[in-house]
Amino acid sequence: MPDKVSPIKALPPASRTYGAIGPHSERPHWGMVIDQERCTGCWSCAVICKSENDVPLGAWWNRVLTEGEAVDQPKEEHGHLGMDWLPLTCQHCENAPCVKVCPVQATYHRDDGLVMMDYERCIGCRYCMIACPYGVRVFNWGQPERPTPHETGMVAARPLGTVEKCSMCVHRIDEGQVPSCVWSCPSQARIFGDLNDPASRVSRLAHEGRVLLEESGTKPSVFYLKPRRKREL
Amino acid sequence: MTAGTLPLAGRRSPRRSFSRLAVWVLALCALTVVGLAAFAYQVANGLTVTGMRNTMMWGQYILFFMFFVGLSAGGLIVASAGRLFGVAAFKPITRLAVLEATVAVMLAGIFILPDLGRPERVLNILLHANRTSPMVWDISIVITYTLLSMTYVWLYTRADLARGGSPLALGTGTSPREMARDERLKSGLAWVALPSAILLHSITAWIFGLQISRTFWHSAIMAPLFIASALVSGLALVILLALLLRRFRRIEFENDLIRYLGALLAVFLVVEGFLVGSELLTAAYPGAEEAGPILRLLTGNYALLFWTEIIVGLVVPFVILAVRRTRSRPGLVALAAVLAVAGIFVHRLNLMLSGLSYVRIGLPPGVSVGTAMPASSFASFHWYVPTVVEWLVVLGVLAFGALLFTIAVLVLPLREREPHAH
Ligand code: SF4
Repeated sequence: MPDKVSPIKALPPASRTYGAIGPHSERPHWGMVIDQERCTGCWSCAVICKSENDVPLGAWWNRVLTEGEAVDQPKEEHGHLGMDWLPLTCQHCENAPCVKVCPVQATYHRDDGLVMMDYERCIGCRYCMIACPYGVRVFNWGQPERPTPHETGMVAARPLGTVEKCSMCVHRIDEGQVPSCVWSCPSQARIFGDLNDPASRVSRLAHEGRVLLEESGTKPSVFYLKPRRKREL
Repeated sequence: MTAGTLPLAGRRSPRRSFSRLAVWVLALCALTVVGLAAFAYQVANGLTVTGMRNTMMWGQYILFFMFFVGLSAGGLIVASAGRLFGVAAFKPITRLAVLEATVAVMLAGIFILPDLGRPERVLNILLHANRTSPMVWDISIVITYTLLSMTYVWLYTRADLARGGSPLALGTGTSPREMARDERLKSGLAWVALPSAILLHSITAWIFGLQISRTFWHSAIMAPLFIASALVSGLALVILLALLLRRFRRIEFENDLIRYLGALLAVFLVVEGFLVGSELLTAAYPGAEEAGPILRLLTGNYALLFWTEIIVGLVVPFVILAVRRTRSRPGLVALAAVLAVAGIFVHRLNLMLSGLSYVRIGLPPGVSVGTAMPASSFASFHWYVPTVVEWLVVLGVLAFGALLFTIAVLVLPLREREPHAH
């Protein structure tokens, strides 16, 4: 992530306390559990992600899919109506297809398991987008457009002609804060923490969860808890 | 003097054919400049001026890249097969085939550039090469192959260049010892060139075929399929160029050769058809979700393209070439060759579109398109149409290739000189 004086330090203390990363091991592997039972499909995480990371118009790092035919349309299951969402962003795979194919190592692993981008090195070949089975990478097709000329994000803007994607808010993690999608979720459907620490809440829940496209062997660091209750209408 | 000095002398007077040549060369130069201008415009504005978006992230440039890789591999396979398996009949067109291969692989390399979002950083591929990236493997083999086929062209024309006193002979002569060395080198090179031609094509296939994200591509048949397509399109283009250059009296051969090549092309078409069919059956047989991309290919938005590939690109040329009567008429063989080249082009287009238009997690609203849109910035399907800029860039590269080829044809002796002419 290109450097910029971190505005995270300037956050009000209450926010910093609420967003602090809990206890973790010496050598953490950051991961996330998303509880589909709790997700209400409100898109808060997707929207705060856009402003936190100053994601250009037309591009999203994080989006909320509806499990069904159309956005926010209930589906019928065994005579009941149900409506579930699948918030989707970079899965920070351990066996990341994008890292394998990038010809210039512009996308790479950090020691803590995060899949990172070097925007100064990326040649914009989009091979990583081809390789990603989750479709979470976005390309700067033109000069990135933003609703205001002022940089509103907490990180530097990415240049034309490069691929960008969710960084798990690495600028916040490095300041001891959870990613902003975790912080902002009104129903606390996102649990962030250290997968290397067996006692952490995220590790315990990850065991109960599933990963997306497991058969592809990508070993994501993001886990999902299935919806557990049927809503009756 | 045989073919050494007359520029593209047809039956017309030298002066008239010279002015025609001048018009042709000038037109190619102009088109190249237009292509460069379009490329500059694209660099200034970004790839937003193309028809590609996040929903279809590769398009015409990569399509032409793989198409030209195919054309080149085919050309050299023809040339070295002639040598390795002693098919003497190939001899009059061997030089033409290696020249065609050289120009084609160079164009393939060039086509990567406009596809990059940051073409000025292209050297990063050498500076920070990632060993696990098929794209790095491919660029390495493209460079190797370019050098190899240039050597090939030189080796095949060197002696005649020396006889004509051309500086391009690089000071080599025609003593019996040097001639014997030529033969040794040619045989040696054929043993390197044939495997690297096969490798070039397989690696290009693996760029696509190793991706678990694209179920339609993720198949072991991709490399054999790419080799088959290369054989078809490469040979077909060699046939066309041979007929064309015979018209311009740059090379000479009997119609028998065309009949022979036509029969070979028919065999290649069968192999291609067999692999395409086997791939489709394997992918479609499980039914339901797995068959999604296939069904879309057979009946969906791109169905017309698919059936064009099969009928116009495979069946019709095969019938023309399989029947002895039609195969004996060079005009009809040329028609079959045009259809075969076009068919392979459409085949690759289909491969690209069906591979990319299928999102693995296809839940609504889909993936973000990538540029500001009036209504929704999400889509799960994208009807890709190349823009004028993309066409101009492609035309520019093609014109540049034709220019290179024309110059090479004028400068290099494509016809073997009879030893007694010396
Ligand atoms: S677009 Fe950039 S990050 Fe992605 S593979 Fe190409 S060079 Fe690597």
